[in-house]
Amino acid sequence: MKKGYKKVERMTGAMRLIHWVNFFSMIVAIATGLYIAAPYYQTLIAEPAVNKYVMAWNRWGHFIVAIIFDVTSIVVAYLYFFSRFEKPYKKVLPTAKNIKEFFAVLMNLITLNRSKNFDSSHSDSFNTVYFTIFHLLLAWMLFTGLQLYVHGLESGQSSIGTWWPALLHLATDWTIPVSHALVGSSGGVATIMDVRISHHATMWLIIVWVVFHIYYQVWRTIFWQEGDIAIAFGGSKFVKENDKAQS
Amino acid sequence: MPGDRIESIKSLFTAKSAKVETNKGEQYYQKLYAQCRARLDKLKSMAPVGSNIKIKEVIEEEGVNRRDFLKWASATTAMLMLPASFTPLVAEAATLMNRVPVIWIELQDCAGNSEALLRSDGPKIDEILLDIISLEFHETLMAPSGHQAEKQLEDAVKTFKGKYILFVEGSVPMGIDGHFGTIGAKAETFIEHLTKLANDAAAVVAVGSCATFGGVPAAAPNPTDAKGVMEVVQGKPIVNIPACPANPSNMVGVLLHYVLTGQLPELDSLLRPKFAFGYRIHDNCERRAHFDAGEFVEEWGDEGAKNNFCLYKMGCKGPMTFNNCSIIRYNEGVNWPVGVGRGCIGCSEPDFWDKYAYERPMANANIKAPTGGVEKSVDEFGLGLLTAAGIGIGIHAAASAIAGKKDNQGEA
Repeated sequence: MKKGYKKVERMTGAMRLIHWVNFFSMIVAIATGLYIAAPYYQTLIAEPAVNKYVMAWNRWGHFIVAIIFDVTSIVVAYLYFFSRFEKPYKKVLPTAKNIKEFFAVLMNLITLNRSKNFDSSHSDSFNTVYFTIFHLLLAWMLFTGLQLYVHGLESGQSSIGTWWPALLHLATDWTIPVSHALVGSSGGVATIMDVRISHHATMWLIIVWVVFHIYYQVWRTIFWQEGDIAIAFGGSKFVKENDKAQS
Repeated sequence: MPGDRIESIKSLFTAKSAKVETNKGEQYYQKLYAQCRARLDKLKSMAPVGSNIKIKEVIEEEGVNRRDFLKWASATTAMLMLPASFTPLVAEAATLMNRVPVIWIELQDCAGNSEALLRSDGPKIDEILLDIISLEFHETLMAPSGHQAEKQLEDAVKTFKGKYILFVEGSVPMGIDGHFGTIGAKAETFIEHLTKLANDAAAVVAVGSCATFGGVPAAAPNPTDAKGVMEVVQGKPIVNIPACPANPSNMVGVLLHYVLTGQLPELDSLLRPKFAFGYRIHDNCERRAHFDAGEFVEEWGDEGAKNNFCLYKMGCKGPMTFNNCSIIRYNEGVNWPVGVGRGCIGCSEPDFWDKYAYERPMANANIKAPTGGVEKSVDEFGLGLLTAAGIGIGIHAAASAIAGKKDNQGEA
């Protein structure tokens, strides 16, 4: 270890596992989701239909990663409030301390690292708010996605019982009017197409989110010189010993 | 109004969504059977309203034999999601359909739903039945016009007050106090016309996409502020039978259900009868296997089109549309849009002209972005946003690279 630096743990093993499961799931979800929206590659026409199941495999993959997202989201929601490591909700509450830290980190980004008046040894308010936006976008994707999914279960039956479509209706029917409010119309009656449009548009918001997220973590690593990018891999980063005194 | 707000929030979570119960249990059907029997006996004892035609004779005159009629009856029983034991009741109810008076009005529309009934090649039983129901008033079909027509309407409303079923075709223009659409010698607005007739009706049946959700007149920019019947008429039972045009089988189905049981069929959250709109087109489509296999028509007339491949890439909206076209088809099972090789345009869903009927996959459609106003597709919007983020990041990175070096130099 470089002299004058000390190691701080920032992500537990469970958090890193969730991070990389989400990373993998997101690539699959976008690749398959784009195919479901508009099939962008063709199947071999000469091959008999029994051998190809291309749309079905894409939908299968999309739903499987959606279910994985569901489960990690529930775990993340739990950890937000009850984690024994760091409780992220504490950094999102609009307290004077959090607001001050949020703008300090924002100023650090805007002033291109000229000012750095905050403690970078723990997860800061700015990043936590940014992650919360991601989880809200993801939650919206899950609710709208499950609404689109339940359209195929009209009979109220499913392989795991009638409770599942019933639960999906109860939990996701509200997304129809809410999507309608987001998408808008001239006729004034909400339609299930609004849910689909919103689901598709939110994908782009998430892609934009990911692009900035990767950029920002790399930028921090380069300019802070604290090895931030290693957090997602090894779970820890390094901070200057004398920085500790400053905070 | 906080009460209204609470109600509307409640309704978000208790929407009668598209769950269809095809089997409600022995006990339910036994009770319903007895109820229908009693209802039909009562109707039989009543004199037919208006003309004294015998429906059985008319059907035979049109060249439909008894066997065909019974085939139709069992198909209709299945369509209404009733057990096979109800077939004789349905057949009987069909012959009693002239006991229920019907008033049919046209508002802002193209009369396409009436045309759908009239223009079929050789009337099928559904169309014959709709021809000979006790249609007391129908602007397009009736001989009188002007004051005589109005007189006839007044008489019909007076005679059958609280008993008639009001069929409405066409949307209601709400702009400039409804003056986009007026009717009759007194230049009544469509709003007045509709609310007046709905007040004295037993129930209102909105037929076609215009009457249900505004349809084509309500498409952007909706110059007349067109609305569906359910947004104008309050406090009356309303049934929506959307589609452009609505399937005559579903019109007969609703009417027959009323004759048979004295009640309107079970409805979903958009007031559509579940027996007709409970299932997605996609899930009963004859081309579904090609969808799953990833076999799509890529352009009109290609090898895929010749082989009846899935029309999803040509913009078929079957996966987003609830209707029974793929089950019962049109004109008594002759054919339907996907069957003739065109994709579904989602004509039975709200906002269909703006959000379904563009005949391209949704990803290639020009639909309104969340920013509103400007017409551009979601993907262009998303890509634009991504580019903006990329440019922002680029500027920031470049600036950081320059400023960061300076910073280091300062420290050193």
